[in-house]
Amino acid sequence: MKVWPLKFREMSDGSMLFADDAGGFFKAGDDFLDRYATDGLSADDSLFLKEGSHGFERERDLPWTSFAYRWARRQSRPRKMNYVILVPTLRCNLACGYCQVSRAPEKARGFDWSDETLTGVLSFLGDLEGPDIKVEFQGGEPMLRVDLLEAVRDYCREKFSQSQFVVCTNLQKLDARAWAFLDADDTFISTSLDGDRLTHERQRTHDGDVTDAFFRNLEAVVARYPEGKISALPTVDVANPPDLDALLDNYERYGVRSVYLRPINHQGFARKFHQGDNVVARWNRLHSGFIDLLIARNHRTGRFMEEYYFSQCLKRVLRFDADNHVDIRNPNFFASDYVVVDHDGRFYPTDEARMLSRIGRIDLSIGDVATGIDRAKVDVLNSGAFNHFDPDCIHCAYQPFCGTDVVDDISRYGRVDVPRPDTWFCGRHLALFDKVFEILYRNDAPTRASLAAWLGVAAWDDGMAPVHS
Amino acid sequence: MIPLRVKVEVNAEEPFVVRLRSFEAEEREREPEQLNHFEVSLERADPDGADYAGEGGPIRVLGIDPSELDGDVLLVNPRRGTADRLIRSTSPHNTFLVTERCDQVCVMCSQPPKKHHVDLFTYFETAALLAPEGATIGISGGEPTLFKERLFTFLKRVLVARPDLFFHILTNGQHFEEDDRSTMTGLDQSRIVWGVPLYSHDPSVHDQVVGKQGAQERLLDNLAFLCRVGAAVELRTVLMQPNAPGLPELARFITAMLPFIRTWAVMQTENIGYGRMNWKTLFYDSSEGFDVVGRAIDLVRSRGIDARLYNFPLCTVPEAYRHLAPATISDWKRTYREECEGCSLKAECGGFFEWHPRDHGYGRLGAVQ
Repeated sequence: MKVWPLKFREMSDGSMLFADDAGGFFKAGDDFLDRYATDGLSADDSLFLKEGSHGFERERDLPWTSFAYRWARRQSRPRKMNYVILVPTLRCNLACGYCQVSRAPEKARGFDWSDETLTGVLSFLGDLEGPDIKVEFQGGEPMLRVDLLEAVRDYCREKFSQSQFVVCTNLQKLDARAWAFLDADDTFISTSLDGDRLTHERQRTHDGDVTDAFFRNLEAVVARYPEGKISALPTVDVANPPDLDALLDNYERYGVRSVYLRPINHQGFARKFHQGDNVVARWNRLHSGFIDLLIARNHRTGRFMEEYYFSQCLKRVLRFDADNHVDIRNPNFFASDYVVVDHDGRFYPTDEARMLSRIGRIDLSIGDVATGIDRAKVDVLNSGAFNHFDPDCIHCAYQPFCGTDVVDDISRYGRVDVPRPDTWFCGRHLALFDKVFEILYRNDAPTRASLAAWLGVAAWDDGMAPVHS
Repeated sequence: MIPLRVKVEVNAEEPFVVRLRSFEAEEREREPEQLNHFEVSLERADPDGADYAGEGGPIRVLGIDPSELDGDVLLVNPRRGTADRLIRSTSPHNTFLVTERCDQVCVMCSQPPKKHHVDLFTYFETAALLAPEGATIGISGGEPTLFKERLFTFLKRVLVARPDLFFHILTNGQHFEEDDRSTMTGLDQSRIVWGVPLYSHDPSVHDQVVGKQGAQERLLDNLAFLCRVGAAVELRTVLMQPNAPGLPELARFITAMLPFIRTWAVMQTENIGYGRMNWKTLFYDSSEGFDVVGRAIDLVRSRGIDARLYNFPLCTVPEAYRHLAPATISDWKRTYREECEGCSLKAECGGFFEWHPRDHGYGRLGAVQ
């Protein structure tokens, strides 16, 4: 039997994790590593590797084919544009200290789509092949321009057989027209809730009355709409995190069971936001603690909540088809299935690229609605948008599960060739996948119950994560 | 039970395919343009039978209300005075039995093989072209790929002529060859699901179930072939006493070796054919021993591979797995028992096989409130 190359990493319990390029993985001891490295595999080793599809006898046999299939599925990339993030206005009625997009003041002029831009956006949408579309309205505060949202939604409903709309709103001001817009079944709400009231006010609203207005509106939307209509996420300052227990209580109270614990992004105004030294280590500790907190809480309440990004990474490990989160895919080619249209009609490959360009460090725009997507520029960005040949990633056991983030590298380091282990992206994801594997190999009942819930299966048992003993 | 064969009187010698139409009074005037060569329309009906006329007729159908036959496609056998309802227009369960020959002798076979073979592909092609818009047509046997040249030609023609149709083909996967590659890739595989049985990861268990030495080895090679030609595979495992204990190992095997399947279907046994003969040594009471089933499908699903329970009455399945148990028992084979009275799940439940025995079945069943 020929064995596919295995990469390995020491786990928190001292044993070794092995993974092949197609994402097949198992846990084994040091002794197996010695035998593997010195070409001295035992008959048991060979049988284990064969049964796990880590090797093959001849090309095109079933183990070879299944490995090739899993590998190819992990690389497959979407080709159909069906998700657009639209920024009809950059103006906002809040002034959050960590604002990632450097929003414009509510009364400012020249930060909304012009008539020509709206026409250009609709024409761009009109050229998409369909049959489905998802539109996310970002800002600024998009509800300041409900009229533009209506125009886009009316157009999409007409043009596409399936369309879905998400409004990323701060829920500060909702008039009758806004409520009417949100009432539609094809329209969803995404908002920011930074945990407890104190933290939310400190980070976002800065004023008791403004905070009251937000919570009043949040209560109102929760009362008015079914669960699933509203999603929310907290932005967490690692130097001053909210009470995480209270955060979960608050989220559950508002019917949101999936929490995307998001660190302050290194973009826009947030670049000036000082979080102290060694942020990545402190963030990783906080996040790891949050996962343990979730497991204990789920066990205690019998009601399951998740950390959205952790669940995503967990699925990236176990499945070959978990490509639906744009922050972690490999390759992660730009402007393939989604694109951002800014307030001035320019295209950006990601929301972060838009934010980064806004502060004038670099222009990451990739064309505009009048002239179309600038494919030459997209190609330049794409040349760094995968981890396959990175001199550090090729040695990493987590390579098949992980991704890369060109825009974050440019934002933080001004270049894309910094050694991986020195980057925020790598530091964060090494810790995330360490945590994923720690959880996968735990055998206590509370962890198993949460794992099953996060994976959408009825039960998880200790035979489900392979071990070579 | 819904009858699949009806009595007919017809003035013809050779078998032929015909579609029956019943037009409402107001449609009568447009009737001639609406009928094609293979159609007849209802002229009159009396308590004994219904008379149809048209280019394909005349034909008199006996003993069934014509309202149940509107749009049905019949294969008429004039000598026997019978007609097979090849396509029932209102049913999602239409299957062409292309042969009764088979090279395997499965211990639970619901349709034991016969030596005699009559080639009906010409009629099947005509019938398929008359199928309702968007229909899925089942192809079964016997083993359809024993006549794979005829099968491939049939599929190719129908898939081209009717871009709206889908096929679900049951095959034991023994007869594909590397030489079939270009033929297979030439078919629109996005409209075909290949239902292929695998009973165990252990070759001796699988081979024993299908009564053929070396069958599993051949099957695994051909599953790899199906993957390489981009075929959608529904892997089917009938749950029985001989293979139930090994179900979790089979699940592990699937996650490692068969990640490309579209669905893994774990299926309850049918008490008919050899299944009835061997019932005592075959039937696995999953209402009492669901543990192996649950563990197996949880493992497969945790890897992002779809798994389903076919032919399981919902009351025999723990609540957490019921959403994986669609109503798969074909309408014409389906029945509900006295125990089903007042069950809140009846509308979503596939019920029982008509021939499921009263006293050798599930230990635990009954209406769910």
